[in-house]
Amino acid sequence: MKPSTVNDPRRTERAPGLSLKMRGMLTAWLFVSPTVAGFMVFFLGPLIAVVFYSATEWNMLSQTSTFVGWANYQDALTRNPDFWHVMRNSVVFALGLVPMNIALALALAMSLYRPFRGVVVFRTIFFAPVVTSAVAWAIVWKFLLQGEAGAVNQILATVGIDGPNWLREPNWAMFAVIVTRVIKMVGLNMILYIAALQAIPRDFSEAARLEGATNWQIFRMVIWPNLAPATLIIVVITMIGSFKVFDHIYLMTGGGPENGTLVLAFYIYQQAFEFFNVGYASALAIIMFFIVLALTLVQILLRRRGSL
Amino acid sequence: MAGLTLNNVTKKFGAVSVIKGVDLEVNDGDFVVFVGPSGCGKSTLLRVISGLEDVSGGEIRIGDRLVNDVQAARRGVAMVFQSYALYPHLTVEQNMGFGLKVRKVKPADIKTRVREAAATLKLEDFLERYPRELSGGQRQRVAIGRAIVSDPAIFLFDEPLSNLDAELRVHMRAEIAALHQRLGNTMIYVTHDQIEAMTLADRIVILRDGQIEQVGSPRELYSHPKNVFVAQFIGSPKMNVVEAASLSAVSEIGGDLAGVVSVGMRPEHLTVTQPTDGLFRGRVSLSEYTGAGSLLHVEVPGSGTFLVLQNGPEAAETGAEIGLSIEPENVHRFDANGLRIPSSNSLKGET
Amino acid sequence: MTYRQQQRIKRICWVISLSIVAIPFVFPFLWMVSSGFKSANEIFGQPSLLPDVWRWRNFVEVFEYQPFARQYFNSIYIALVVTGLTLIVSSLAGYALARIRFAGSVLLVVFLLSALMVPEEVTIIPNFFLIRWLGLTDTHVPLILLPVFGPQGVVATFLMRQYFMALPKDLEDAGELDGLSRIGIWWRIALPLSRPALAAVAIITFLHSWNLFLEPLVFLSSLEKFTLPLALGNFTDPYGMPLWHLQLAATSLAVVPVIIVYVIAQRQIVESFAMTGVKG
Repeated sequence: MKPSTVNDPRRTERAPGLSLKMRGMLTAWLFVSPTVAGFMVFFLGPLIAVVFYSATEWNMLSQTSTFVGWANYQDALTRNPDFWHVMRNSVVFALGLVPMNIALALALAMSLYRPFRGVVVFRTIFFAPVVTSAVAWAIVWKFLLQGEAGAVNQILATVGIDGPNWLREPNWAMFAVIVTRVIKMVGLNMILYIAALQAIPRDFSEAARLEGATNWQIFRMVIWPNLAPATLIIVVITMIGSFKVFDHIYLMTGGGPENGTLVLAFYIYQQAFEFFNVGYASALAIIMFFIVLALTLVQILLRRRGSL
Repeated sequence: MAGLTLNNVTKKFGAVSVIKGVDLEVNDGDFVVFVGPSGCGKSTLLRVISGLEDVSGGEIRIGDRLVNDVQAARRGVAMVFQSYALYPHLTVEQNMGFGLKVRKVKPADIKTRVREAAATLKLEDFLERYPRELSGGQRQRVAIGRAIVSDPAIFLFDEPLSNLDAELRVHMRAEIAALHQRLGNTMIYVTHDQIEAMTLADRIVILRDGQIEQVGSPRELYSHPKNVFVAQFIGSPKMNVVEAASLSAVSEIGGDLAGVVSVGMRPEHLTVTQPTDGLFRGRVSLSEYTGAGSLLHVEVPGSGTFLVLQNGPEAAETGAEIGLSIEPENVHRFDANGLRIPSSNSLKGET
Repeated sequence: MTYRQQQRIKRICWVISLSIVAIPFVFPFLWMVSSGFKSANEIFGQPSLLPDVWRWRNFVEVFEYQPFARQYFNSIYIALVVTGLTLIVSSLAGYALARIRFAGSVLLVVFLLSALMVPEEVTIIPNFFLIRWLGLTDTHVPLILLPVFGPQGVVATFLMRQYFMALPKDLEDAGELDGLSRIGIWWRIALPLSRPALAAVAIITFLHSWNLFLEPLVFLSSLEKFTLPLALGNFTDPYGMPLWHLQLAATSLAVVPVIIVYVIAQRQIVESFAMTGVKG
C-alpha cells in the first residue's frame, strides 16, 4: 500500500465552512486589494479632491481657503489673459508636433519595416532618444541651441547661415521645443507603425504590384488604408502626450521667453507650486482633464464607427 | 478507492443552465464514459465532479463523503486533460512529482513513486526531458503518469485522446484499458467519440442538453436504446429511423404496431436481396467501397435514404434496384415521443 | 547599367539619406559625452567633436559639487523598489482580473481604464497635500507609491492581465488539482510562464521611474534626497547659469549606462514599449 496523501482523513475533516464560490471571490479581492487601495488613495480620492479645490480660493502660503464656486473657472475662461495665451501655446505645440511626429514616424517605419543589412542599427538609433530621460535630452539640446556659442548655430555658420538665438525668441523657441520633442519621441510611433506594417499581409501589395501599381499607388491604395486604425490610435496617443509635456519645456525654456512656450501642464505646475494658487491651478487641472477625456472619447467613438 | 454518487446535480453559468439535474451512481472500480454531442455538458459535469467548477445545486459524494465544498485538490481525484496540461517549465519528473511536492511529501518518497509510475508507462528514459521535447503520445503518457502518482480515488479523463492521430489513438485507448485492468480504480472518461465509449466503458452515460438520456453497458445501449436519440447516437453508421407509416412492409417486420410511430434499423442489420425478395425495395444512389464491404445509400420511395452495410467483396452498383431485408428482432420501435416500445414477442428480456 | 547595379545604387542612396536623418538622433549623445570632457572655456570655443584636452577632472568635480553619488544611488534604489512593487501588485491584480470571476471585476476594469485617461498633472496637487499631511514630503515614499499605483501601474496591470488571459487555462486547472492555492498557482505556474510580460513591465517601469521628473520636483527639497533627473539641472553657478562642463559630464554619467544596456537588450526593450503602446 502506497502512502496515501490525497485521501488522508485529516485533510477531509478540514472541509471549510466557506463555499467554493465565496472562497474564489475572497481570493480575487485579496489579489486586487493593493491595486484597489492604491487606486482609492492616490487616484480616486485626489480626483474628487481636485474638484473641490477648484471651487475654492486657496492660498497655500496664508493657509486660507474660501468657497468661490465657479469663480476660478470664470477667471481662467474670461478674465485671465494668460489662460488663452497658454491654451494657444498648447494648441500650437500639439498641432506642430503631431503631424511632424506622425509623418516622420511613418516615413521611418516605411523605410525600416522590411529587413535589410543595417536595419537594426537604424531602428536602434531612432529609438534611442525614447529611452533617454527627457531631462538629459532637454539639457543637451538647450546646450546645443544656445545663441552664438551653440553648436547648432556654429555648424550653420560654416555653411553661411546665421542661425537665430533659438531659445530666446518666442516663435523660434516654440519651433525648437517642438522639433526636439519630435526627435525624442518619434521612435515610439515608428515602432508602433512598424508593427502595424508588418501585420499587413504581404499578398496585398504583391497582388497590387502584379497589377502594375507603382510604389506610390501601392502606398496610397493598399498600405495607407490598412494603417488607418493604427494611425488613429497613434494620433490620439501623441496628441494626449503633447498636452502632458512638462519636463522637456521646463528644462529647455522654463516656459519662456515671454511665456512663449508656456503650455497647459507647465501653467498648472506654475500656478500650484510656484504661485501657490491652489484653487485656480485645480480648476486648470480639471480643464486639462476634460481635454484629455474628450480626445479619448473621440478615439473610442471613431474606433467604434465602421471600418476602424 | 471509492465510488461516486451524483444527486440532482445542477450547474448554471449566470442564467444559463448547463447541467440540469443529473443523478448517477458509479460503483467503485467502474470505468464510466460520458458521451454526447458537443455542448451536452459532459465536460462541465466532469469539471464539477473534479471541483474545478463549483456546483450550483444537488450533492456530489465521493465514497461516502459529501464534497460539494471541498477544494479540487482534496477530493481525491486526478485529471488527464485534453491538452495534457504539462507544465512547460518543469521536466517530466518534476511534472509528475509536482502534486506530491506541493503536498509536502518527502523528496525520497516522491522519487520512488514517480519512478514507479514511469516504469509502468515506459517513461524511464524521458524523466529529464521537458514536455516540448516529447511526442504527442509521450506527453499523453506523462499526463497519465502524473495522475497515477497522485494515487487518486477517481481518475478523470477529459477527451484525452482527441489531440492524437488515428493510429496513436487506437494504441493509447488500449493502454488506458490496460491501465484500468491493472489499477482497478474508478475512472470517468469524457469523449465525443462513441467508438472510444463503446470500447472502453463498463458503463456509458449518454448526455444531451445537460441531462442523462440513458445509462448502461455498451451492449445494452446498442441493443436496447431507450429512445431515438440514443439509438442514433450509438452505432456507426447511425441507425436508420423512418416513419412507420411510410413502409408498407412494416407490419411484417414490426410485429405489434400499437402506438408505434417510427421504426429503426441499423445499417449492419439490413441485408441486400434480389429486388423481388426483400421486405421492401429501393435504388442504390451511392455505393461506397470500404474494403471489408460497402456502404450503400439506398433511396426507398416514400421513406427517404437508408444506409446499408453490405459485407464481402460483392457490392451493389450505383443505380441498381435492390431489395432489403431484416430480422424482426433487429427492428427497433419507437412511440410518438421517440421512446422505445419493448417488443412483446421478443424472447430476450428487456433490461 | 544592369538592373542589379541600379538596385544596388538605389540602396546605397537610401542608406545615405537615412544616415543624414539619423544625425540629430545621434549627434546630441556624442556632443554630450565629448563636451563632458571639455573645460569650461573650451566648451564655448570653436565647436569640435573631440576635446583638445581631455579633462577627466570634470567627472570628479561632479561628485564634489553636490552629493551626486548619493543622488545616483537614490535613483537606482527607487527605480528598483518601484519595479519590484509594480511587478507584484500588477501581476496579482492582473491575474485576478484575467482569471477569477468575481463580483465587481467589470467595474474595477472600467475604473482602472479611467485612470489611464487622467494625467498625473491633474492629481499631483491633491496628492501633494496628501503626502504633506502624512508628513512624507522630502522623502522617497511618494516617488515610490505614486508610480506603483498611478497610470504607470495601471498600464502594467493591463499588460499582465492580457498576457495571463492568453495562457492555457488547463495548466492552472492541473495546478489546482495538484493542490496549489490561488496564490500558489499565480506564483508557481502563471508567473514562470509569463516571463516576457514580466520583463516588459520591468523594463518600462524601471525606465519610467528612472526618468521621473515632476514628482521629485514637487516632493523633494534637500539635495541628498534628489534623484538624477532633478540633480542634472542643478549644476549652476551662483547666478543660476548652467555650468555646462559639469552638467554635461553628469548627464553623460546618467545617460550612458542606460544607452549601453539599451544597445545590448535593444530588441527586448523596443518590444516592451511596443507591447504597452498598442494598448493605449
